[in-house]
Amino acid sequence: MSAPTSTNNLLEIEQLSVCFGGLQALDRVNLSINEGEILGLIGPNGAGKTTLFNVITGLTAPSHGKLRWQGNSLAGKKPEQICRLGLARTFQNLRLFRELSCINNLQVAMGSNNRRAALELLALVQLQEKADAAAASLAYGDQRKLEFARALATKPKLLLLDEAAAGMNPIEKQDLQALVQRVRCQFKITILIIEHHVPLMMQLCDRLAVLNFGRCIALGSPEQVRRDPLVIEAYLGSQR
Amino acid sequence: MIDISLFVLMLLGALLALAVYLPLRAGQLSLATPGFYTIGGTVAALLSTQLPGLGGSDAVYPLTSLLLEMIVAIAVAGLLAFLIGKPVLKLRGIYLAIATIALVEILRVVLLSSPWFGAAVGIFAIPQPFEGPEGYLIAYGLLLAIVAWACARLERQPLGMAMAAIRDDELAARCMGVSTDQVKLIAFVLSAIVAAAAGVLAAHYFNSWNARQANFDASITTLAFVVLGGSRTWLGPVIGGLVLTALPELLRPIGDLRLIVFGLVILLGPIFIPQGLIKSKQS
Repeated sequence: MSAPTSTNNLLEIEQLSVCFGGLQALDRVNLSINEGEILGLIGPNGAGKTTLFNVITGLTAPSHGKLRWQGNSLAGKKPEQICRLGLARTFQNLRLFRELSCINNLQVAMGSNNRRAALELLALVQLQEKADAAAASLAYGDQRKLEFARALATKPKLLLLDEAAAGMNPIEKQDLQALVQRVRCQFKITILIIEHHVPLMMQLCDRLAVLNFGRCIALGSPEQVRRDPLVIEAYLGSQR
Repeated sequence: MIDISLFVLMLLGALLALAVYLPLRAGQLSLATPGFYTIGGTVAALLSTQLPGLGGSDAVYPLTSLLLEMIVAIAVAGLLAFLIGKPVLKLRGIYLAIATIALVEILRVVLLSSPWFGAAVGIFAIPQPFEGPEGYLIAYGLLLAIVAWACARLERQPLGMAMAAIRDDELAARCMGVSTDQVKLIAFVLSAIVAAAAGVLAAHYFNSWNARQANFDASITTLAFVVLGGSRTWLGPVIGGLVLTALPELLRPIGDLRLIVFGLVILLGPIFIPQGLIKSKQS
């Protein structure tokens, strides 16, 4: 499963382990993210998906293993440095700047007060009419969209979406899928997405990685992964 | 009958409130403002009384000398804030508050125990650049206008937005590429500069200067300005500083009851208007 080192590997995760006391949150995970792909990360609750995001974005230090971004180690880099290298994320439990207006949320991420550029991004997620409303005043689904736009505002090469569709209704989920695909083409970015809604992920992702108890138990096309006995066992239990 | 000196003190209050507001905008509860205010005053008192070349014995102290004091005080306070801020701002919330209280106390004791800084008696006969309180009113008005204008500008700049972002969610701000340590340090240094500039004028206005300017009471009073006025835009601290400085004087006719009213305002303010009198325009 260890992919050969080729030039189009944006992020390489090698033998990554994270322990919280006695809990092994991630166990020797290997994963390469190819430039331009949409890679889905699925797995039951507590499988270590968000922990993996936290390690990639510098919020959690790995116990063992390496992260290489475009060939360079990410060891010891602070979250803000990692962001500036071109990795941006959203959060499972929304972390907007709640008292700031939508447009200011984006401007903070852009590091500039360019109103027009921020409005364009807001238009992308259809929030241009809420530009001057406080982020906290938005509906839940809109807050998710705003967080998505805020991550985009940092001009990332790799966008990490943590439970991007959580709390969205079926129509919003469809919209989100279209949006993610459009953003990938328009901004030429790579996307790593965590989401529990498996049918959505089957349609959206080029490849899927499955985590269970901190281990990467499957990696491949959605079709391959769906038929993988280990995955079926992880989700449905063993047949005996 | 309201004395013109009350208006001078009100403007001073508004300036100190802005000094408290700057770090607070970035979510940092620093109570060091009276410390930097004292540094400003001490610099002014020393320079104007010890350096004859500045014109301390002239009939009217030259304004250029006042300006020079201001520059020196800003440099000293800014540098000190920079050096202290680096380690101290690693502390969060109430721990930062405690560390900054300690800073003010250390400063007070240092001033109190060194004859060079006037020790317990203080520094007297600080020369007057203005003939009456009207001059100070204009000088303070000008200083407040400059600082308030700068704050209003700052709020629309990326730096000011980043400060508010840190207040709302520091971790998210870092993940969005904001150098939070740097932004917090800048806010702290700017705060020290504003406080020191206010202190320079105060030393001349009060005519004498001593270590008692830096104390815990002053820390709390200036914090109350911002708590009542609000810490979301520059206008909040300004209103808070003006009102709370005037309040004890306006309430003088009711005697000692005024202290109770003053206490009630500070107590009830956060309960009924947690964002302060001046709220952010979004909410």
